[in-house]
Amino acid sequence: MDRSDLSRVRRPLEAANGLPNAHYIDPAVFNEERQAVLFDNWAGLGVGDDVPEIGDAVPLTFLGMPLLMVRDRAGKVRVFQNICRHRGMILVDTPRKIEGVIRCPYHSWCYSTEGKLVSTPHVGGPGQNTHEGIDRALLGLIEVRSHIWMDVVWINVSGTALPFEEVNEDLIARWGEFDKPLHHGGADSRFQLAVNCNWKLAVENYCESYHLPWIHPGLNSYSRLEDHYHIENAGHFSGQGTLVYRQLKGEDGKSFPDFEDLSERWDTSAEYITAYPNVLLGVHRDHTFAIILVPEAHDRTIEHVHLYYSDPKTDSELRARNTEQWKEVFEEDIFVVEGMQRGRHAVGFDGGRFSPAMDGPTHMFHHWVASQLDRHRAPLAAE
Amino acid sequence: MSDLNDKMLEAHAEDDRDALIGLYAQAADEAVDIDAKCFFLTHAYVFALEAADPRVPYLRKQLVSHGREPAD
Repeated sequence: MDRSDLSRVRRPLEAANGLPNAHYIDPAVFNEERQAVLFDNWAGLGVGDDVPEIGDAVPLTFLGMPLLMVRDRAGKVRVFQNICRHRGMILVDTPRKIEGVIRCPYHSWCYSTEGKLVSTPHVGGPGQNTHEGIDRALLGLIEVRSHIWMDVVWINVSGTALPFEEVNEDLIARWGEFDKPLHHGGADSRFQLAVNCNWKLAVENYCESYHLPWIHPGLNSYSRLEDHYHIENAGHFSGQGTLVYRQLKGEDGKSFPDFEDLSERWDTSAEYITAYPNVLLGVHRDHTFAIILVPEAHDRTIEHVHLYYSDPKTDSELRARNTEQWKEVFEEDIFVVEGMQRGRHAVGFDGGRFSPAMDGPTHMFHHWVASQLDRHRAPLAAE
Repeated sequence: MSDLNDKMLEAHAEDDRDALIGLYAQAADEAVDIDAKCFFLTHAYVFALEAADPRVPYLRKQLVSHGREPAD
């Protein structure tokens, strides 16, 4: 694989180019970014609401890797490699409730929901369930480092990233007023969108407000371009905010209850931020959302959308309208990200340029991706 | 034993975990050879573990007493 030259991406905004075509259409570069960008950092995998009750277990495939998200007996969400330590068999192949232990369907080695190996039937011969060569204490499930914030389950596959709270210190502080129970709206407040594009294009589009008047004309009546501002924190997150958020109201004039104790600035503000690499977040006085971008291939991404409220019981009709409203907005973006994906097959395209005034948050993401690749490549180059 | 064997096959076919635990425990009770007994006990124990069945401590205690599961 020819390594792309990323120096032009890391230029100042006014002079920078976007990431080269290969970063969108070349499976080899996709695999490189899998490690450098997604595995080496805190990537979003799912949400805690995927496993709402103790014993709930959901198998997930993340960048080809079989994982198992489990809510253990103590109520803690854990992420394991979804394989038996014996012969590497897949342990759980459909979402289900673990009543007692996780039993491998092959030779029935059993694991607790905390990942401990608790039974090794016949491992020393028929009816002999121990063997001196098999130390159960060393053969628990392989746990993937995980962290929950805003109900998003973040994983650091490589185990090498700084602690989540340290990496995301500024974002956690910025949205400290939302550090309170977020209640998932339930089945009517989750949906998926399958898009034929590289996952980064969904981030790039989400980060900027430049496209809003053209792609989301419905917002123009109350949310003009000049009502938006950039959010930029180099190396960690970027996005945009609005100064004119208006609450959705039902026919009776009622809206969702606000999160408690918010400062006045949130009366009409809302913010939309990408927590690098792959989680798109939005906060408003009365609801939040999280979009987990799960890359399936270099040119295919599943967007998992979840909406949260301040109260566990909200009006179902209003909730459905809110879900529908957001779905419509996110669907309006699909032709854009898919169009940019097709555009990356234009031979000789230089990655494009950025509006110095409007594309800062998007360039910040490009710059961060390039820096992750350069970090990843540096020791390889030294070999 | 053939009747018990038929019942076991039926329970496996129907994935009836509760019945499997009972039938394997019964087979263990009826076995005269200690290895055969522990073989059946092991199956009853594993299915009980999976189901968080209340018979787990009883089955485990027998396996431990025969040195087939660690004591702690």
